[in-house]
Amino acid sequence: MRRREEARSGLDVILIDIWEGSDPRPEVERFCELWGVESTILMDETAEYARSLGVRGVPTNILVDERGIVRAVGLVRLDDLDAAIDELSARA
Amino acid sequence: MASARTGELDGYAVGAACRIDARAPGRTLAEIAVGLDPEGVAVDVARRRAYVACSREDRVAVVDLETSELIASVEVGAEPIDLVFDEASDRIFTADAHGDSLSVVDAAELRLVATVSVGMYPSGLCADFEARRIYSGNSMGSSMSVVDLDTLDTIATVEAEPGAGAIAIDPARGLVVCVNFIAASATFIDTQTWQAVGRVDVGSGACAAGVVSRRGEVFIVNSLAGTLSRVSLDTFELVDEVAVGRAPVGLTVAPSGDRLYVSNRGAGTVSVVGADDAAQWGQLTVGEGPGGVAVDPSNGLVLVANAGSGSVSVVEDLLAGAPPRPVEDEEHWLVGKPLPEFSLVDFHTGERRSSLEWAERRYLINFFASW
Repeated sequence: MRRREEARSGLDVILIDIWEGSDPRPEVERFCELWGVESTILMDETAEYARSLGVRGVPTNILVDERGIVRAVGLVRLDDLDAAIDELSARA
Repeated sequence: MASARTGELDGYAVGAACRIDARAPGRTLAEIAVGLDPEGVAVDVARRRAYVACSREDRVAVVDLETSELIASVEVGAEPIDLVFDEASDRIFTADAHGDSLSVVDAAELRLVATVSVGMYPSGLCADFEARRIYSGNSMGSSMSVVDLDTLDTIATVEAEPGAGAIAIDPARGLVVCVNFIAASATFIDTQTWQAVGRVDVGSGACAAGVVSRRGEVFIVNSLAGTLSRVSLDTFELVDEVAVGRAPVGLTVAPSGDRLYVSNRGAGTVSVVGADDAAQWGQLTVGEGPGGVAVDPSNGLVLVANAGSGSVSVVEDLLAGAPPRPVEDEEHWLVGKPLPEFSLVDFHTGERRSSLEWAERRYLINFFASW
């Protein structure tokens, strides 16, 4: 999904890892190997940033425009994500 | 506005004489820390306990439901995902995904007493307590194991489809439903012959199921599609699909039989879905990243294992029935606002990176957990 979205729309994708417990690095390492993830991954180990945004579940996607304004939150279903990205692209 | 009639508010029938917020039709009575990545949960009514499979710690947490405290834990096999409590044998069973086995725990002594080999990566468990069988969906083996609850002998291994995991049963029809995550399908198996007698395509990421036998239907959770499939157990055909919350992953049928509870991992909620109208009546707020869900049959309280919070929520469902109007999802409060700045460590480089780096760029943030 991530490669597809990046390729299709010129959108940067930032993965933020949360809720892994006290030693997240081996878990994230395994995840990257299993799924071939090469995107930027940031670590929110205490989930403080996630909570500040009201994130209560995973996955949660947040779409941000070039002005830094949040356009959509949630977007778990692929068709919802595609529609939101298309709308963002149309506004540009 | 409250009506003159006791127990009604804005046309909502209420289950208790208290105000119901239509957008918050539940009340959290407790949230109990249990351990890393709790998944399967089951209730021991006689002892007033809940047993919770903590999949990242390879143990079962034991919760006292009277005091809402974690009182013990038992080591089991590798990565226990699903869990069943058998009152008759007084044993707890876990499906240990990375152990390719079931762990059997004596519930009185809280110690591991046996290990049963099953197929590869067992991820779903369901028991027919009357027939004395437990079923394991073996996801990497594309099969279902049938094990005798008392002797622990393997009775049969049944071929299913890729990602065979969640299991539901209808003893009245002599059927087992095995949900296949990768194939996005369900296999229907005859309990007399152990042969597949039907199949149906469902939504992507099919991962949980529950039978409403009086209706002759099985509800199947589709985690990637974000829907619930309703399937006839007589024709094996899809009846309809119901939208629930984001990334639904767990399901249980209420003992009353009138509703289902569907945990939404992507939203931190549990959907209450009518078994007859197949409509979402409301969403209960629970902990972060909810997964396994069960109902305490002695009092109707809903227990939810929250993988993100590492906790179990005990929630009272205040909905007496379907609401007069469907509750619509509200837009997230962040939409239309500037994203708050972040400064987080990059996993690959170890350097701290700020949101300022992405100024004047369009981007998608994906919050995820490796489980």
